[in-house]
Amino acid sequence: MGILSGALTVRRYRVDGDVPDGFRDSYADALRSYAFQDKSSPTPGEELAGWVEIHNLLDTGFEDLNSWLYDRYAIFSLRVDKRVVPAKLFRAHLEKRVAAWCQEQQRQRCPASVRGELKELLEFELLQRTLPRVSVHEVIWNVTDGWLLFHNLSDRANERFIKLFFETFGLQPQPEAPLDLLGSDATLAEALLTTGGMDYRPEGS
Amino acid sequence: MSGYDPMAGFHEATPMLPHLAAEFLLWLWWSAASSGCRADLGEELGVVDFWVDDRLAFRTPDEGRAAAVITGENPAESPEARAAIAGGKVLRELRLCIRREEREFSVTLKAPNLDLAQVSLPQVVTGDGEEALYDRMFLYEELHSLVAAFFQRFAQARSTSDWGDATVPSIRSWVGERMVALDG
Repeated sequence: MGILSGALTVRRYRVDGDVPDGFRDSYADALRSYAFQDKSSPTPGEELAGWVEIHNLLDTGFEDLNSWLYDRYAIFSLRVDKRVVPAKLFRAHLEKRVAAWCQEQQRQRCPASVRGELKELLEFELLQRTLPRVSVHEVIWNVTDGWLLFHNLSDRANERFIKLFFETFGLQPQPEAPLDLLGSDATLAEALLTTGGMDYRPEGS
Repeated sequence: MSGYDPMAGFHEATPMLPHLAAEFLLWLWWSAASSGCRADLGEELGVVDFWVDDRLAFRTPDEGRAAAVITGENPAESPEARAAIAGGKVLRELRLCIRREEREFSVTLKAPNLDLAQVSLPQVVTGDGEEALYDRMFLYEELHSLVAAFFQRFAQARSTSDWGDATVPSIRSWVGERMVALDG
């Protein structure tokens, strides 16, 4: 974990918009509506994403305010699951199934259509037995000051986070740029906008 | 709350200027070397010590990925680091230490967003309770203010004509002198 302990690796966002009265209840409802839900019949390669409580990725109730709201800070995690059948294991099982079919039908070769059916059935069976690859990315949102930290720097994870956050709360988090560090100093920001990259190589390099 | 349009908020986003973050990291490195690792960040934050720690990463100007990573005890003084700048590479990551009063922060600043990575906070309260969270966020906000104060100093310097007339030649000369010393 990074938000509660250990090293922090974060991208900072601005969250513009008014915090509604009674946001504790409405945000709890929103988190529950977009909480992580497992699927009984996963499809290969499909990614499932949703919010989970920060202390345990199996908790998705957000019923106890004390578990996710600390004064002005809302803390929760984005869980992303992906189920993939190991390719080598899949191929090995498929060859066995094809050989068994040929023996049963007393045929030399298995037609492509049958092979396709066997493949589909096997994929479904193995997916049920395969544990998902689970990623959990923490979020801490300073609700009153309008900024948040997302504990991951990959573009893919950040894009997924922005989308789900918007769907959940109706608010668009904006990644902060270096110019945001200037705060309200618009003149300085304007001056920097007109600059271009310079060459810092010493003479004669 | 559906109807997500990924482009909807882009009009309000602050423009990202990739060269600025890279120049800021170079300015931090040069400032630490030329100021005796000390900076006055104004009335609120006061005087701090700062230095480049154990990581510098470079990229070529037209690529996003790191082209050279220099780690170890003192990469800021290594010939490879100066050679990277002399060869036209730009900084992508810089590991910075800042000491304010008794508190020491370590952070890897990553361009172009200036994301904070591998942040080590001088935490007093530990555990996963409420108090530890407040302590961490208090320290995180202090670190954010320190980085912002450095960036403001850089921005003030960068937006004047003095940057091209004096600072850039000074940085070039600093890189060049070191290269000459190493050659010698």
